[in-house]
Amino acid sequence: MKRNTIVLFVVLFILAIFGWAGWANWKYRQQAAERRLALSAKGELVPDAAGDTLQYNSPLINKPAPDFTLEDLHGNKVSLSSYKGKAVLINFWATWCAPCKIETPWIIALRNKYSSQGFEVLGISADDLDLNDKQKLSEEKQQIAQTAQQMHIPYPVLLNADSISKPYGGLDDLPTSFYISRNGTVVAAQVGITSEDEIEGNIRKALESKN
Amino acid sequence: MLNLQSTWRGTFAAAALMLAATAASAQFPFNSSQDHAAAKNNAVQYLYPEQVTVPAGKPSAVEMHFRVAHGLHINSHTPKDSYLIPTVLSVPASSGVRLDNATYPPGTDFTLPLDPNTKLSVYTGEFTIFTRIVAQRGNHLVQAQLRYQACDNNACMPPKTITVPIDVIGK
Repeated sequence: MKRNTIVLFVVLFILAIFGWAGWANWKYRQQAAERRLALSAKGELVPDAAGDTLQYNSPLINKPAPDFTLEDLHGNKVSLSSYKGKAVLINFWATWCAPCKIETPWIIALRNKYSSQGFEVLGISADDLDLNDKQKLSEEKQQIAQTAQQMHIPYPVLLNADSISKPYGGLDDLPTSFYISRNGTVVAAQVGITSEDEIEGNIRKALESKN
Repeated sequence: MLNLQSTWRGTFAAAALMLAATAASAQFPFNSSQDHAAAKNNAVQYLYPEQVTVPAGKPSAVEMHFRVAHGLHINSHTPKDSYLIPTVLSVPASSGVRLDNATYPPGTDFTLPLDPNTKLSVYTGEFTIFTRIVAQRGNHLVQAQLRYQACDNNACMPPKTITVPIDVIGK
Protein backbone atom coordinates (compact mmCIF):
# COMPACT_ATOMS: atom_id res chain seq x y z
CA MET A 1 0.00 0.00 0.00
CA LYS A 2 2.79 2.35 1.01
CA ARG A 3 4.77 1.44 -2.08
CA ASN A 4 1.72 2.07 -4.30
CA THR A 5 1.27 5.51 -2.80
CA ILE A 6 4.91 6.38 -3.46
CA VAL A 7 4.62 5.17 -7.07
CA LEU A 8 1.43 7.19 -7.50
CA PHE A 9 3.12 10.34 -6.21
CA VAL A 10 6.15 9.79 -8.44
CA VAL A 11 3.89 9.29 -11.49
CA LEU A 12 1.88 12.43 -10.61
CA PHE A 13 5.11 14.38 -10.13
CA ILE A 14 6.43 13.27 -13.51
CA LEU A 15 3.10 14.14 -15.15
CA ALA A 16 3.18 17.56 -13.50
CA ILE A 17 6.72 18.13 -14.82
CA PHE A 18 5.57 17.14 -18.34
CA GLY A 19 2.55 19.41 -18.01
CA TRP A 20 4.69 22.35 -16.88
CA ALA A 21 7.23 21.74 -19.66
CA GLY A 22 4.42 21.65 -22.23
CA TRP A 23 2.93 24.87 -20.91
CA ALA A 24 6.34 26.61 -20.84
CA ASN A 25 7.02 25.43 -24.39
CA TRP A 26 3.61 26.70 -25.59
CA LYS A 27 4.19 30.05 -23.88
CA TYR A 28 7.65 30.36 -25.43
CA ARG A 29 6.29 29.57 -28.90
CA GLN A 30 3.48 32.06 -28.43
CA GLN A 31 5.94 34.81 -27.45
CA ALA A 32 8.24 33.91 -30.35
CA ALA A 33 5.27 34.10 -32.76
CA GLU A 34 4.34 37.53 -31.36
CA ARG A 35 7.94 38.71 -31.78
CA ARG A 36 7.98 37.40 -35.37
CA LEU A 37 4.69 39.17 -36.08
CA ALA A 38 5.99 42.46 -34.70
CA LEU A 39 9.25 42.16 -36.64
CA SER A 40 7.49 41.20 -39.87
CA ALA A 41 5.30 44.31 -39.64
CA LYS A 42 8.10 46.62 -38.50
CA GLY A 43 8.92 49.27 -41.04
CA GLU A 44 12.19 51.07 -41.50
CA LEU A 45 13.27 54.55 -42.38
CA VAL A 46 15.08 54.77 -45.70
CA PRO A 47 16.63 57.89 -47.30
CA ASP A 48 14.44 59.51 -49.96
CA ALA A 49 15.62 60.20 -53.52
CA ALA A 50 17.20 63.52 -52.51
CA GLY A 51 18.87 61.89 -49.51
CA ASP A 52 17.94 64.65 -47.07
CA THR A 53 15.04 62.98 -45.25
CA LEU A 54 14.16 59.45 -44.19
CA GLN A 55 10.95 57.93 -45.57
CA TYR A 56 8.99 55.24 -43.75
CA ASN A 57 8.99 51.95 -45.60
CA SER A 58 6.37 49.62 -44.11
CA PRO A 59 6.14 45.92 -44.97
CA LEU A 60 2.36 46.27 -44.59
CA ILE A 61 2.12 48.19 -47.89
CA ASN A 62 -0.02 46.27 -50.44
CA LYS A 63 -1.10 43.85 -47.72
CA PRO A 64 -4.46 43.61 -45.97
CA ALA A 65 -4.62 45.99 -43.01
CA PRO A 66 -4.59 43.98 -39.76
CA ASP A 67 -8.13 44.03 -38.42
CA PHE A 68 -8.87 45.20 -34.89
CA THR A 69 -11.72 45.97 -32.56
CA LEU A 70 -11.13 48.76 -30.07
CA GLU A 71 -13.26 50.80 -27.72
CA ASP A 72 -13.99 54.42 -28.56
CA LEU A 73 -14.31 57.29 -26.08
CA HIS A 74 -17.97 56.45 -25.49
CA GLY A 75 -17.33 52.78 -24.76
CA ASN A 76 -18.53 51.53 -28.17
CA LYS A 77 -16.63 48.74 -29.92
CA VAL A 78 -15.29 49.84 -33.29
CA SER A 79 -13.82 47.42 -35.85
CA LEU A 80 -11.71 48.34 -38.85
CA SER A 81 -13.56 45.68 -40.88
CA SER A 82 -16.82 47.62 -40.47
CA TYR A 83 -15.30 50.39 -42.65
CA LYS A 84 -14.88 48.14 -45.70
CA GLY A 85 -15.96 50.10 -48.76
CA LYS A 86 -14.47 53.30 -47.34
CA ALA A 87 -10.93 54.59 -47.60
CA VAL A 88 -9.59 54.90 -44.06
CA LEU A 89 -6.73 56.79 -42.49
CA ILE A 90 -5.59 55.12 -39.27
CA ASN A 91 -3.81 57.83 -37.32
CA PHE A 92 -1.92 56.77 -34.18
CA TRP A 93 -1.39 59.76 -31.88
CA ALA A 94 -1.03 60.63 -28.19
CA THR A 95 -1.96 63.52 -25.93
CA TRP A 96 1.74 64.15 -25.11
CA CYS A 97 2.87 64.20 -28.76
CA ALA A 98 3.60 67.75 -29.99
CA PRO A 99 3.99 66.83 -33.70
CA CYS A 100 0.61 65.02 -33.55
CA LYS A 101 -0.99 68.32 -32.52
CA ILE A 102 0.46 70.00 -35.60
CA GLU A 103 -0.92 67.49 -38.10
CA THR A 104 -4.33 66.89 -36.47
CA PRO A 105 -5.92 70.12 -37.84
CA TRP A 106 -4.71 69.14 -41.34
CA ILE A 107 -6.26 65.68 -40.94
CA ILE A 108 -9.54 67.19 -39.73
CA ALA A 109 -9.68 69.56 -42.73
CA LEU A 110 -8.89 66.75 -45.18
CA ARG A 111 -11.41 64.43 -43.55
CA ASN A 112 -14.09 67.10 -44.00
CA LYS A 113 -13.00 67.64 -47.60
CA TYR A 114 -13.05 63.95 -48.62
CA SER A 115 -15.70 62.40 -46.36
CA SER A 116 -18.38 62.75 -49.05
CA GLN A 117 -16.20 60.55 -51.30
CA GLY A 118 -16.19 57.74 -48.76
CA PHE A 119 -13.22 58.65 -46.58
CA GLU A 120 -12.97 58.30 -42.80
CA VAL A 121 -10.29 58.72 -40.17
CA LEU A 122 -9.80 56.56 -37.10
CA GLY A 123 -7.65 58.32 -34.53
CA ILE A 124 -6.12 55.76 -32.20
CA SER A 125 -4.68 57.03 -28.95
CA ALA A 126 -1.35 55.54 -27.89
CA ASP A 127 -1.60 56.98 -24.38
CA ASP A 128 -0.84 54.47 -21.64
CA LEU A 129 -3.90 53.05 -19.92
CA ASP A 130 -3.94 51.55 -16.43
CA LEU A 131 -6.38 48.77 -17.30
CA ASN A 132 -6.24 47.32 -13.80
CA ASP A 133 -6.94 50.57 -11.96
CA LYS A 134 -10.50 51.81 -12.59
CA GLN A 135 -9.92 55.25 -11.09
CA LYS A 136 -6.74 55.91 -13.08
CA LEU A 137 -8.24 54.44 -16.24
CA SER A 138 -11.20 56.79 -15.96
CA GLU A 139 -8.86 59.79 -15.51
CA GLU A 140 -6.74 58.72 -18.47
CA LYS A 141 -9.80 58.31 -20.70
CA GLN A 142 -11.03 61.71 -19.59
CA GLN A 143 -7.68 63.27 -20.45
CA ILE A 144 -7.79 61.77 -23.97
CA ALA A 145 -11.41 62.88 -24.44
CA GLN A 146 -10.56 66.38 -23.26
CA THR A 147 -7.64 66.65 -25.70
CA ALA A 148 -9.80 65.33 -28.55
CA GLN A 149 -12.45 67.89 -27.67
CA GLN A 150 -9.93 70.75 -27.49
CA MET A 151 -8.67 69.81 -30.96
CA HIS A 152 -12.29 69.51 -32.26
CA ILE A 153 -11.68 66.00 -33.60
CA PRO A 154 -14.86 64.99 -35.46
CA TYR A 155 -13.87 61.39 -36.24
CA PRO A 156 -13.88 58.35 -33.91
CA VAL A 157 -11.09 58.34 -31.33
CA LEU A 158 -10.23 54.81 -30.25
CA LEU A 159 -8.27 53.76 -27.18
CA ASN A 160 -5.44 51.39 -26.38
CA ALA A 161 -3.20 51.47 -29.45
CA ASP A 162 -0.77 49.36 -27.46
CA SER A 163 -3.03 46.31 -27.85
CA ILE A 164 -2.62 46.41 -31.65
CA SER A 165 0.90 47.83 -31.87
CA LYS A 166 2.54 44.52 -32.87
CA PRO A 167 0.63 43.89 -36.12
CA TYR A 168 1.15 47.58 -36.96
CA GLY A 169 4.92 47.41 -36.61
CA GLY A 170 5.53 48.39 -33.00
CA LEU A 171 4.46 52.06 -33.11
CA ASP A 172 7.84 53.25 -31.83
CA ASP A 173 7.21 56.78 -33.08
CA LEU A 174 4.19 59.05 -33.19
CA PRO A 175 2.39 60.18 -35.19
CA THR A 176 2.17 57.05 -37.35
CA SER A 177 -0.44 56.77 -40.09
CA PHE A 178 -1.65 53.98 -42.35
CA TYR A 179 -3.82 54.65 -45.40
CA ILE A 180 -6.26 51.85 -46.20
CA SER A 181 -8.05 51.39 -49.54
CA ARG A 182 -11.77 50.67 -49.84
CA ASN A 183 -10.87 46.98 -50.08
CA GLY A 184 -8.90 47.01 -46.85
CA THR A 185 -5.38 47.10 -48.32
CA VAL A 186 -2.64 49.31 -46.86
CA VAL A 187 -1.62 51.63 -49.70
CA ALA A 188 0.65 54.05 -47.82
CA ALA A 189 2.22 54.57 -44.39
CA GLN A 190 3.88 57.52 -42.70
CA VAL A 191 5.87 57.92 -39.53
CA GLY A 192 6.37 61.38 -38.14
CA ILE A 193 4.92 64.61 -39.37
CA THR A 194 5.33 65.35 -43.07
CA SER A 195 3.07 67.91 -44.78
CA GLU A 196 -0.60 68.46 -45.46
CA ASP A 197 0.06 67.91 -49.19
CA GLU A 198 1.64 64.53 -48.54
CA ILE A 199 -1.27 63.47 -46.32
CA GLU A 200 -3.73 64.57 -48.99
CA GLY A 201 -1.78 62.68 -51.67
CA ASN A 202 -2.00 59.50 -49.59
CA ILE A 203 -5.73 60.00 -48.94
CA ARG A 204 -6.33 60.29 -52.69
CA LYS A 205 -4.23 57.21 -53.26
CA ALA A 206 -6.40 55.30 -50.77
CA LEU A 207 -9.61 56.59 -52.39
CA GLU A 208 -8.47 55.76 -55.92
CA SER A 209 -6.74 52.44 -55.25
CA LYS A 210 -8.25 49.35 -56.89
CA ASN A 211 -6.40 47.01 -54.51
CA MET B 1 56.67 71.44 -56.99
CA LEU B 2 54.57 68.62 -58.36
CA ASN B 3 54.56 66.95 -54.92
CA LEU B 4 53.50 70.19 -53.26
CA GLN B 5 50.63 70.58 -55.75
CA SER B 6 49.49 67.03 -55.18
CA THR B 7 49.63 67.54 -51.40
CA TRP B 8 47.50 70.67 -51.71
CA ARG B 9 45.06 68.83 -53.98
CA GLY B 10 44.81 66.03 -51.41
CA THR B 11 44.28 68.46 -48.55
CA PHE B 12 41.64 70.35 -50.54
CA ALA B 13 39.81 67.12 -51.43
CA ALA B 14 39.83 66.00 -47.78
CA ALA B 15 38.53 69.40 -46.63
CA ALA B 16 35.77 69.29 -49.28
CA LEU B 17 34.78 65.81 -48.17
CA MET B 18 34.65 66.89 -44.51
CA LEU B 19 32.58 69.93 -45.45
CA ALA B 20 30.15 67.78 -47.46
CA ALA B 21 29.84 65.32 -44.58
CA THR B 22 29.18 68.15 -42.13
CA ALA B 23 26.55 69.64 -44.45
CA ALA B 24 24.88 66.26 -44.86
CA SER B 25 24.75 65.65 -41.13
CA ALA B 26 23.35 69.15 -40.59
CA GLN B 27 20.60 68.42 -43.09
CA PHE B 28 19.38 65.36 -41.25
CA PRO B 29 20.57 64.23 -37.85
CA PHE B 30 20.66 60.52 -38.66
CA ASN B 31 22.63 58.90 -41.47
CA SER B 32 20.62 55.70 -41.53
CA SER B 33 17.65 53.88 -40.16
CA GLN B 34 20.04 52.03 -37.81
CA ASP B 35 21.44 55.32 -36.41
CA HIS B 36 17.90 56.54 -35.84
CA ALA B 37 16.82 53.32 -34.11
CA ALA B 38 19.96 53.29 -31.95
CA ALA B 39 19.42 56.91 -30.88
CA LYS B 40 15.77 56.22 -30.09
CA ASN B 41 16.55 53.19 -27.95
CA ASN B 42 19.10 55.17 -26.02
CA ALA B 43 17.65 58.68 -26.11
CA VAL B 44 19.08 59.59 -22.70
CA GLN B 45 22.26 58.23 -21.22
CA TYR B 46 23.39 58.62 -17.62
CA LEU B 47 26.99 59.79 -17.58
CA TYR B 48 28.27 60.15 -14.00
CA PRO B 49 28.96 59.93 -11.07
CA GLU B 50 28.94 56.15 -10.63
CA GLN B 51 29.87 56.39 -6.97
CA VAL B 52 29.63 59.11 -4.30
CA THR B 53 30.66 59.20 -0.68
CA VAL B 54 28.54 61.45 1.55
CA PRO B 55 28.23 62.07 5.31
CA ALA B 56 25.58 59.69 6.68
CA GLY B 57 22.28 61.31 7.67
CA LYS B 58 23.21 64.76 6.34
CA PRO B 59 21.85 66.43 3.20
CA SER B 60 24.62 66.28 0.57
CA ALA B 61 24.86 67.80 -2.89
CA VAL B 62 25.30 65.43 -5.82
CA GLU B 63 25.36 66.57 -9.44
CA MET B 64 23.98 63.98 -11.84
CA HIS B 65 25.02 64.31 -15.46
CA PHE B 66 23.03 63.04 -18.45
CA ARG B 67 23.29 63.21 -22.22
CA VAL B 68 20.46 63.37 -24.78
CA ALA B 69 21.31 61.59 -28.04
CA HIS B 70 22.20 63.75 -31.04
CA GLY B 71 19.16 64.80 -33.06
CA LEU B 72 16.72 64.28 -30.20
CA HIS B 73 15.32 66.48 -27.45
CA ILE B 74 13.39 65.74 -24.27
CA ASN B 75 10.94 67.97 -22.43
CA SER B 76 12.54 69.93 -19.61
CA HIS B 77 11.30 69.54 -16.02
CA THR B 78 8.98 72.48 -16.67
CA PRO B 79 7.49 72.13 -20.15
CA LYS B 80 5.49 75.09 -21.44
CA ASP B 81 2.29 73.07 -21.90
CA SER B 82 0.56 70.90 -19.33
CA TYR B 83 0.02 68.05 -21.84
CA LEU B 84 3.77 67.52 -22.25
CA ILE B 85 5.53 64.99 -20.04
CA PRO B 86 8.23 66.57 -17.84
CA THR B 87 11.63 65.06 -17.11
CA VAL B 88 11.62 63.80 -13.52
CA LEU B 89 14.27 62.12 -11.39
CA SER B 90 13.19 59.86 -8.54
CA VAL B 91 14.85 57.62 -5.97
CA PRO B 92 13.05 54.49 -4.69
CA ALA B 93 11.95 54.85 -1.08
CA SER B 94 13.55 51.60 0.07
CA SER B 95 17.03 52.33 -1.28
CA GLY B 96 18.55 53.69 1.93
CA VAL B 97 18.92 57.05 0.24
CA ARG B 98 16.33 59.83 0.19
CA LEU B 99 16.09 62.45 -2.52
CA ASP B 100 15.76 65.59 -0.42
CA ASN B 101 15.66 68.00 -3.32
CA ALA B 102 16.32 68.10 -7.06
CA THR B 103 17.06 71.29 -8.97
CA TYR B 104 16.62 70.88 -12.68
CA PRO B 105 18.30 73.08 -15.28
CA PRO B 106 16.05 75.51 -17.14
CA GLY B 107 14.98 74.21 -20.54
CA THR B 108 16.16 75.69 -23.81
CA ASP B 109 13.54 77.20 -26.11
CA PHE B 110 12.97 74.97 -29.12
CA THR B 111 10.58 75.17 -32.06
CA LEU B 112 9.60 72.36 -34.40
CA PRO B 113 10.40 73.33 -38.02
CA LEU B 114 6.74 72.83 -39.00
CA ASP B 115 5.39 74.95 -36.16
CA PRO B 116 7.71 77.94 -35.68
CA ASN B 117 5.15 79.78 -33.55
CA THR B 118 5.10 77.25 -30.70
CA LYS B 119 8.01 77.25 -28.30
CA LEU B 120 8.90 74.12 -26.37
CA SER B 121 11.16 73.96 -23.32
CA VAL B 122 13.61 71.11 -23.85
CA TYR B 123 16.95 69.57 -22.94
CA THR B 124 19.40 68.68 -25.68
CA GLY B 125 22.99 67.47 -25.44
CA GLU B 126 24.33 67.26 -21.88
CA PHE B 127 22.37 68.41 -18.86
CA THR B 128 22.88 68.23 -15.10
CA ILE B 129 20.38 67.71 -12.29
CA PHE B 130 21.59 69.17 -8.99
CA THR B 131 20.34 66.90 -6.23
CA ARG B 132 20.50 66.91 -2.45
CA ILE B 133 20.40 63.43 -1.00
CA VAL B 134 20.35 62.01 2.51
CA ALA B 135 21.99 58.59 2.84
CA GLN B 136 21.83 56.19 5.74
CA ARG B 137 25.12 54.80 6.99
CA GLY B 138 26.42 52.02 4.75
CA ASN B 139 26.83 51.17 1.10
CA HIS B 140 23.71 51.59 -1.05
CA LEU B 141 23.46 50.60 -4.71
CA VAL B 142 20.71 53.03 -5.63
CA GLN B 143 18.64 52.43 -8.75
CA ALA B 144 17.37 55.97 -9.26
CA GLN B 145 14.99 56.55 -12.15
CA LEU B 146 14.73 59.22 -14.79
CA ARG B 147 11.42 59.53 -16.60
CA TYR B 148 11.43 61.47 -19.84
CA GLN B 149 9.75 61.73 -23.19
CA ALA B 150 11.92 62.20 -26.26
CA CYS B 151 11.21 63.51 -29.75
CA ASP B 152 13.08 64.48 -32.88
CA ASN B 153 11.94 67.21 -35.27
CA ASN B 154 9.18 65.06 -36.78
CA ALA B 155 8.09 62.41 -34.31
CA CYS B 156 7.92 61.52 -30.64
CA MET B 157 8.73 58.33 -28.80
CA PRO B 158 6.60 57.00 -25.95
CA PRO B 159 7.61 58.14 -22.46
CA LYS B 160 10.40 56.07 -20.99
CA THR B 161 11.92 55.50 -17.56
CA ILE B 162 15.60 54.60 -17.38
CA THR B 163 17.51 53.30 -14.39
CA VAL B 164 20.23 55.57 -13.06
CA PRO B 165 22.59 53.34 -11.07
CA ILE B 166 24.66 55.13 -8.46
CA ASP B 167 26.65 53.65 -5.60
CA VAL B 168 26.12 55.86 -2.54
CA ILE B 169 28.40 55.35 0.44
CA GLY B 170 27.12 56.94 3.65
CA LYS B 171 29.96 57.45 6.17
